[in-house]
Amino acid sequence: MNWARIKWHLQRQDWGLTLAVLVLMVSGVFFIYSASFQQVDLPVSRMYQRQILWALVGIGGYVTLAMNDYRRIASAAWWIYAVTLVLLVLVLFVGKQVHGASRWLSLFNIQVQPAEFAKLGVLLLVARYWSRPDLDPDHPGYLVAALGMALIPFLLIARQPDLGTAMTLWPMTLVILFVGGVRLKWLVILAMVGLMLLPVGWFSLGQYQQNRILVFIDADRDPYGAGWNRIQSQIAVGSGGLTGKGYLQGTQNVLGYLPRAVAPTDFIYSVIAEEKGFVGSVTMLLLYGVMLAAGIRAAVVARDRLGRYLAAGITGLIFFHVFVNVAMTVGLMPITGLPLPLMSYGGSFMVSTMLCLGLLQSIIIRRGRRF
Amino acid sequence: MSTPTYSGRLAFIAVGMVALFAGLGVRLALLHLGPNVDLQERVLQIRHTERVIPAERGRIMDRRGQVLAMDLPVKDISINPQAIAATSHGPFIAAHLARILEVEPEMILARMERTHRLDEPIRRRVHHDVAEQVARLNFDGVFMRDRMTRHYVQGGLMCHVLGFVNHEDVGSAGVEQHFNQALRGITGLRVSERDGRRREVYNRRHIDIPPRPGNDIYLTLDQELQYMMESALDAGLEQYGGQAAWAIMMRVSTGEILAMASRPAFDLNEFPQSTAEERRNRAISYNYEPGSTFKVAVIAAALNEGLVTPDELIDCEHGRWYYRGRPLRDYSPHGVLSVADVLQKSSNIGSAKIALKMTEAKLEEYLRAFGTGRLTGIDLPGEEAGILNPRSRWSAISVTRIAMGHEVAVTALQQLNAVNAIANEGRLMRPYVVREVLNRHGHAIHRGTPEVIGQPIRPDTARVMARLMARVTEEGGTGRRAQLAGYPIAGKTGTAQKPIPGGYSDRLNIASFVGFLPADDPEISMVVVVDEPQPQRTGGAVAAPIFRDIAEQAVLYLGIPSNDEPEVPMWARSGP
Repeated sequence: MNWARIKWHLQRQDWGLTLAVLVLMVSGVFFIYSASFQQVDLPVSRMYQRQILWALVGIGGYVTLAMNDYRRIASAAWWIYAVTLVLLVLVLFVGKQVHGASRWLSLFNIQVQPAEFAKLGVLLLVARYWSRPDLDPDHPGYLVAALGMALIPFLLIARQPDLGTAMTLWPMTLVILFVGGVRLKWLVILAMVGLMLLPVGWFSLGQYQQNRILVFIDADRDPYGAGWNRIQSQIAVGSGGLTGKGYLQGTQNVLGYLPRAVAPTDFIYSVIAEEKGFVGSVTMLLLYGVMLAAGIRAAVVARDRLGRYLAAGITGLIFFHVFVNVAMTVGLMPITGLPLPLMSYGGSFMVSTMLCLGLLQSIIIRRGRRF
Repeated sequence: MSTPTYSGRLAFIAVGMVALFAGLGVRLALLHLGPNVDLQERVLQIRHTERVIPAERGRIMDRRGQVLAMDLPVKDISINPQAIAATSHGPFIAAHLARILEVEPEMILARMERTHRLDEPIRRRVHHDVAEQVARLNFDGVFMRDRMTRHYVQGGLMCHVLGFVNHEDVGSAGVEQHFNQALRGITGLRVSERDGRRREVYNRRHIDIPPRPGNDIYLTLDQELQYMMESALDAGLEQYGGQAAWAIMMRVSTGEILAMASRPAFDLNEFPQSTAEERRNRAISYNYEPGSTFKVAVIAAALNEGLVTPDELIDCEHGRWYYRGRPLRDYSPHGVLSVADVLQKSSNIGSAKIALKMTEAKLEEYLRAFGTGRLTGIDLPGEEAGILNPRSRWSAISVTRIAMGHEVAVTALQQLNAVNAIANEGRLMRPYVVREVLNRHGHAIHRGTPEVIGQPIRPDTARVMARLMARVTEEGGTGRRAQLAGYPIAGKTGTAQKPIPGGYSDRLNIASFVGFLPADDPEISMVVVVDEPQPQRTGGAVAAPIFRDIAEQAVLYLGIPSNDEPEVPMWARSGP
């Protein structure tokens, strides 16, 4: 790889995407520090240091994928998919148990969440499958096959149990199928089947999951238990005001009303909202907007169908994460435990998100037309 | 390359995402910028914490500083059923708590059922070492609160004088009640914020008023003398039987109470288990007809008025005399006795004839001057005043009955105080139990001082009376069994029949002995009363020996010099 090629990559990349990614990552580290901060004289958890490490690994992955042709990567889709499936099966048997769920595999003392990489596997496989030249989008057989590709990892991840991450496979897959031209009739039928399965789904939920949904409907049902995080998160956002209480000054967070276990992960947005106020929370939302705009742009300018479907799927995936997390923080959705891309504490999620974004950048760099 | 379907659907998705993001933006604006009064109130309400900090109640000590009552820090142990319900450790926690706290596990499990509650008490006032065991388990959902509990170092000793504090920490008997204001401290207040785990955040205190401990009290009573008295009463009840017994010891010159005991008694640390009868301080609250001990006042009055002399002879009618048609009997018949012998042998007929030498008005005046029918004003709650009817309600034979201690009622304290006046050159003192109240800096905010509240008789009469009373314990007197080698004791026995419906009982008596020592230079005075002793029933047979037992130890302890020996107290002598 010579200088000219690097220059070509740098020139053709979407600078907005890269900048948004960097700003979000750096903010994430700062607010993870704040979320684990209690008092000046108390030691701060080392979480933020580990997050820096993961961010650096993520940047490495981002650059690597951006520099490589997404078509070459997608050609290994079956292999990647197969490996992630093996890992998902493995985690059920030898996974590390945390709070009754086994989600982590221990590799050389590093905790890896295979579900995060399964998302990448499903994305690559479905996009590649759906971009086959011989595929007839009107034929329900192809549709069933594509859905099956998502269903297998969905069931494996749901079994861990990690319903939140498992759910993210669907918006991604459905967006690809939707823009891929599946007949609306099939999608309507699919939606109706989904509705009919809702009662089945309800009873297959664990009690804590049912409780979260009931609490969403009526937060005062259990204000000190399952409703606690939700109420405290809203209070945090609400007390932020226009410009916030200042960095490290968010009392909801410093006093531990936002439980310390979730403040740096699922509720990182609530910390930002309290300490940086409306200005801060909207700025973050706009940065995600820049990312998503880059995703839409990639879906428009991609040189082939594979690129379009990959871009649409990644956009759907990231949007789903951001929307569900922020909606949960502001009390518009039940608590699902979905992290916020690039900001929430967590290594596997950081790396898998950065790989997706690198793929997006690769599609834009190798774009077929101006936009 | 792209088809219209693709572009349209992609546009649809893009528009949908923008719309949903806009929705989030609106929600954020509403939350951030809207008037979230209820949310903010909720924040304050959830964070606000007010804690009343209990103040340490003052200690109570005896006259030499031995601690008798003090506050101990203890813990109230509670559980948070909601937090425990969220885990599956309920039965495990219940089993451990039940074992350590010695309660029924079923009770704890039942409280855990109340899952809507955040605070269910399990056991109150748990001592430090037990609380430590609970703390070591470090269970989530089990917490403790600091508080103070009253501890009585000597258990039941001096229980009636000390009194106790109720569950609201208010003194409810004895010194604890009478000096509640001085003893109780001023509680502190801490208004602060608490964190998500409901712990107080130290650097967010708004108000922090420390508690002020209460004042310490030094009693006039002496723990050792008290112990001697209580032991002697218990031994006496054991030996002579009886429903109850009580006794008081006083310092003659000041009116300080040195010991005061009442039986039955109770353990102060277990006061909720005691009965009302056990809690009653009979020494100051039990009105009884004194019987012959009352003759002292009558004869002292007649001597003081100059109506009789000690040597004057009185015809005691061989034990049976009719006055205004009603018979009067002596316990043992006597012929002609001197006034001194009337007292020594406790002749009812002789006393009646002496009393009749006075006008009714004079008699009533003297009896009231000795404090009969009037509160002594001791610094203890629940004192009774005794009963002395006004002259207008006396019957034709009242004087002869009052002369032998019937138709009047006194408390043991009144009886003692009257005799103490004779020992104290005729000066009637106000008895008191609190010597000093010291604040936490050691400054006295109250001092019990000797106070003369009356002078019923002249000093010379008092001295004559003291000599006459000393004869009661000599050969031929009713109080011989009070004799103590080396210490002349002046005293008077009393054996009153207890009133029963329709008259007086033949078999139920109140036996008493009241007196002072040494008779020629009085230091302490004392009264001993036994209620319904059986089969021996007289004051001379029952109360006098108990008096003697207490006095024998007290003179050694107090170092009162004996007549037989040089004036060196026991502790200063060498060898056994």
